[in-house]
Amino acid sequence: MSNAIGIIFANSGSDNLQGLALERPIAAVPFGGRYRILDFALSSMVNSGIRTIGLVTPHQYRPLLDHLGAGKDWFLERKDGGLFILPGVMHGLAGNNHMFCIKDLKNNLEYLQKDFVENVVISSGDQIFNINFRDSLEFHKDKHADVTLIYKALNDSDDDSNSKIFLDLDEDLKVSNIQERNGLEKEGLNYPFFVNILLIRRELLLDIIEKYSSFGCIDLMNIIAANLGVLKIFASPTSSLIRPIRTIKDYFDRSMDLLDFKVREQLWLGVDRTHTKIVDNPPTKYTSQAKVSNSLIASGCSIAGEVINSIVFRGVILEQGCRIQNSIIMPKCRIHANAQTNYTILDKSVKVQGENVLKGSENQPLVILKKTVI
Amino acid sequence: MKRQECIAMLLAGGQGSRLGGLTRNRAKPAVSFCGKYRIIDFTLSNCTNSNINTVGVLIQYKPFLLNSYIGLGSAWDLDNPFGGVHILPPFLGETEGSWYNGTANAVYQNYEFIDYYDPEYVIILSGDHVYKMDYTLMLKFHKEKKSEITLATIQVPWEETSRFGILSVDADARITKFSEKPAQADSNLASMGVYIFNGSTLKEALIADKGDYLSQNDFGKNIIPHQLNQGKRVYAYKFHGYWRDVGTIESYYLANMESLRDGHFLNIFDPKFRIFSNEDIFPPHFVGETAEIENSLICNGCTVHGKVSNSILAPGVYVGEGVEIRDSIVLPYVKVHEGSIVHRAIVGENAEIMSQCIIGAQGQGAPAQEGITVIEDYHLIPEGTVIEAGMNVCRSRAI
Repeated sequence: MSNAIGIIFANSGSDNLQGLALERPIAAVPFGGRYRILDFALSSMVNSGIRTIGLVTPHQYRPLLDHLGAGKDWFLERKDGGLFILPGVMHGLAGNNHMFCIKDLKNNLEYLQKDFVENVVISSGDQIFNINFRDSLEFHKDKHADVTLIYKALNDSDDDSNSKIFLDLDEDLKVSNIQERNGLEKEGLNYPFFVNILLIRRELLLDIIEKYSSFGCIDLMNIIAANLGVLKIFASPTSSLIRPIRTIKDYFDRSMDLLDFKVREQLWLGVDRTHTKIVDNPPTKYTSQAKVSNSLIASGCSIAGEVINSIVFRGVILEQGCRIQNSIIMPKCRIHANAQTNYTILDKSVKVQGENVLKGSENQPLVILKKTVI
Repeated sequence: MKRQECIAMLLAGGQGSRLGGLTRNRAKPAVSFCGKYRIIDFTLSNCTNSNINTVGVLIQYKPFLLNSYIGLGSAWDLDNPFGGVHILPPFLGETEGSWYNGTANAVYQNYEFIDYYDPEYVIILSGDHVYKMDYTLMLKFHKEKKSEITLATIQVPWEETSRFGILSVDADARITKFSEKPAQADSNLASMGVYIFNGSTLKEALIADKGDYLSQNDFGKNIIPHQLNQGKRVYAYKFHGYWRDVGTIESYYLANMESLRDGHFLNIFDPKFRIFSNEDIFPPHFVGETAEIENSLICNGCTVHGKVSNSILAPGVYVGEGVEIRDSIVLPYVKVHEGSIVHRAIVGENAEIMSQCIIGAQGQGAPAQEGITVIEDYHLIPEGTVIEAGMNVCRSRAI
């Protein structure tokens, strides 16, 4: 049994996802054919042996709860522990720019108080990864650390358009400096940056919440940075692939990355599976007119058209003569005969009627909102 | 709150020896079907869709994989506080106890289980049929006719009557005659192996059967004819729809292939009558640049780089570059490496076909079992092997 419980901040929204996150948090955006972005953080925790996980939810949490149910598909429907819904703070029009807002935790203090475990693993819910935290938990224990930040060395393949929190480390992997910067400014590679996942002693976290809750919305990371001299803060490395989804470009590129075997190998083909809601769809049916190349296709689809370099989610119907290129087609969409899409993202249940041509560009994929009929 | 109106007894203990290598390591109900399913999914889903939430599964032959697949029954929503799935293996008592000796004997030995729920009706099911059926309609018929035993029946082509138990009925659908596999049939109404008994009738019938030393303790061969002779009210419920016994290589192959047809009766895509299954979690399947897929069913977790036509790929199958798979059923986790050809074959679970093999090659003379080649589970076919059509390829010993 793991000596940790988990908290996932599934309440971060984004205005840069062009409507994909209009009525759902980033965590609930469908990704990779059958998953939601949240599944990656959730599965990593479950695969690490964590069986008590609290989910900080946003104002619009219906899509999240619809997906999660009682948590059965993640083995979180349990007597001892399980899945806990932690309603997050309602933010005003200004939105929430915090990653780990203390006020969200303050509102759900009981979740942290009633458990007996030593540590809490905290993760953001807007990243794609598959990391087993067992090594980091071991590291955290060996170092008698108060806080362990999981880090990665910046390398070529990391997208550095997002601002990141960079860490200065001594030989013992103790953190000596924490600073937020835009990745582009950072000269040279191999610079350690924080991957938005941390381990913290539960008692310490309770102390922090009590002390800082009067400040309102303050980010846990700011508090940790401010107490660098007082706390034992270490950093534990990971070499796993980890990709945040903040903008529509992120979403499109990270989706297309899945067509690369190396990415799928790291994410999905290891021992630890990414779990998701099970729908029990039938297998996907290919007719004799189907032409599919370099694509990921989920179950329950019926394919009679042409699909190239694309990702097709569950239960999609592609009629004869349609042509799907460089596109992402979310669940239950229907593309009628001879319609075409290129660099297009169709949200759930979109209908594209015959002969329509939808075209975006590589840098600006066209996004069609949920349930639109074209 | 133990008492149930109707409970199901699911016969899943048979060896299924006519499925060759497919049942060498597992009971027939646990054999993969139509890609993502296993044969027992259909019967268990029928129970769920018919509000029967207490199911006794009678097991005997190589039960491990079947048991672990069924688990608590939660995949079929059968994990129910007032019933649920019960695995019923043969057991020893103080003085008695033996292996299950025939279908009726298996139910007889578990009469304590039936008594525990004290049901008004017991439905006897078979774990090796593929069909979608709402048992509530049959139960309604049973009640309306004040029947003591009701048999589900289906019309079969006249030329096939000699393969089934054939029934003659009067105008009221009451059965007048039952003949097991008759040479000359006077009806084409066949028993589907699905029976509803009044609880009390079943108990009497089983006790009488136990006392009869000449009996083979089989529902079809002994119990039904005997009860009919006793003048019991035995009725035939006519089922209209798709039903297949997949007990032989040929029928298993045919039933799988039928599911590739458009507008198929089984209609696995129907959301109102879903077939549930206990699937392993896999990412979506990947179709490579060199792949060509035609008229096929492909499951999650597959990787396809070769040609696949008129075939079914179960979850987790790998098809390498230059591979050709035609008219075949490829079961879970199979790997087919570069340049191999698989034609009209059933490739068992976890089997691995190395590169440049030919499975189902045209041999001399007419091939056996309609030219269907079967490769046993976990078998490794070395590079460059040629296997003639109609062969049953087994490993030297079962695991």
